[in-house]
Amino acid sequence: MASVEGGSLVLFSTEIAQPEIDIAALVVTYSRLLFRVAHSVLRNQAEAEDVVQDVFVRVIESRRSIQAIRDMRVWLVRIAWNLALDRRRRIRPEQIDESFAESLATNTAPADERLAEAQRMSSVLREMDRLPRAERCVLLLSAIGELGTAEMAKVVGRSESAVRALLFRARTRLRERLEEQGGGR
Amino acid sequence: MINSEETIGKVLAGLRDAQASPGLERRILATVEVRTSQRQAAKPSWTWGVAIVSVVAACLFLAITAIYRHGQPSTQAQHHAAPAESAGDAQEALLLSQKPLTSTRSPIRVATPMRRVKTISAEEAVLLRDMRVPSHPAPEAPLTNEEKLLLRAVHLGDPQVMAMLNPEVQAREEAESEAEFQKFVDQSSKDIQEPNQPTE
Repeated sequence: MASVEGGSLVLFSTEIAQPEIDIAALVVTYSRLLFRVAHSVLRNQAEAEDVVQDVFVRVIESRRSIQAIRDMRVWLVRIAWNLALDRRRRIRPEQIDESFAESLATNTAPADERLAEAQRMSSVLREMDRLPRAERCVLLLSAIGELGTAEMAKVVGRSESAVRALLFRARTRLRERLEEQGGGR
Repeated sequence: MINSEETIGKVLAGLRDAQASPGLERRILATVEVRTSQRQAAKPSWTWGVAIVSVVAACLFLAITAIYRHGQPSTQAQHHAAPAESAGDAQEALLLSQKPLTSTRSPIRVATPMRRVKTISAEEAVLLRDMRVPSHPAPEAPLTNEEKLLLRAVHLGDPQVMAMLNPEVQAREEAESEAEFQKFVDQSSKDIQEPNQPTE
């Protein structure tokens, strides 16, 4: 694997003709983070990996203007986030959410309990999608666990205090809606 | 209450702990490499583009130069053709009809406006030859009645009439006629007076 990555690194360095832009290093450093960003939106492994590939293709295409980018990490996260949202519009998220919820359910529990837990998780995912856009965005980015408030603020284009407020409102609104559903049942 | 918070936490933890399949970096690098090579194969490199543009520009320059050089002698030939009209017109028209005008360049530059002269066809050459033929005198106008009478008198050769055409002869003739008339009048008056006299 190291040899493959090393060969790709040399190839990209000669193609780009800008030694400071090392695509292989970017892939090694950020691919896992970008995968989680895309997966938080798509909740599907294959789709998220496709998004990560598309991110680095975009990096290659915009390599001439890449020198002007101050925060590479935030820039890549924003690309992955937008590509994932775009891809989610083309797929059927209901079926994907059900399979993801089933994968989250505890395998050791009995089948009926596992099914009920999967249904509860499906309802959580469904209510997350019904949140206002800014709240949903902040909630998902915070769920990744690798982005600080300042980075989330750059990704969503808000201030840090606004991000904290959005995160608080998102958690509160999501909990209230789920409790309403539980009371109704 | 606790259930909902716990479920939210599980879902968010599941999103956080999502793991890509092994070998993600290698697959991404391979994919990016393939896409980049496809994109480069689809697009011609900029050096080829520069070469193509250079060749096209050179062809355009040569074509414009050739057109300009074709245009100048033909206009000069038109200007210099006027003096040599009579003898070589037929040959010139024949040459004009057979080939475009690329003949000798005159050392004298004629200030002519930039005008493009196209190749002359056979029909145009005939018209050009007719145009360059020297103009003849105008045909004679028909004679007036006076001229016809004069011509008839001249051709008859009547001496008296011919003499009348001379003003001196005419004046002398008129003087003689006047004198004869006066003589006749005088003679007549004498004859009238004599019978009145007593003759008895």
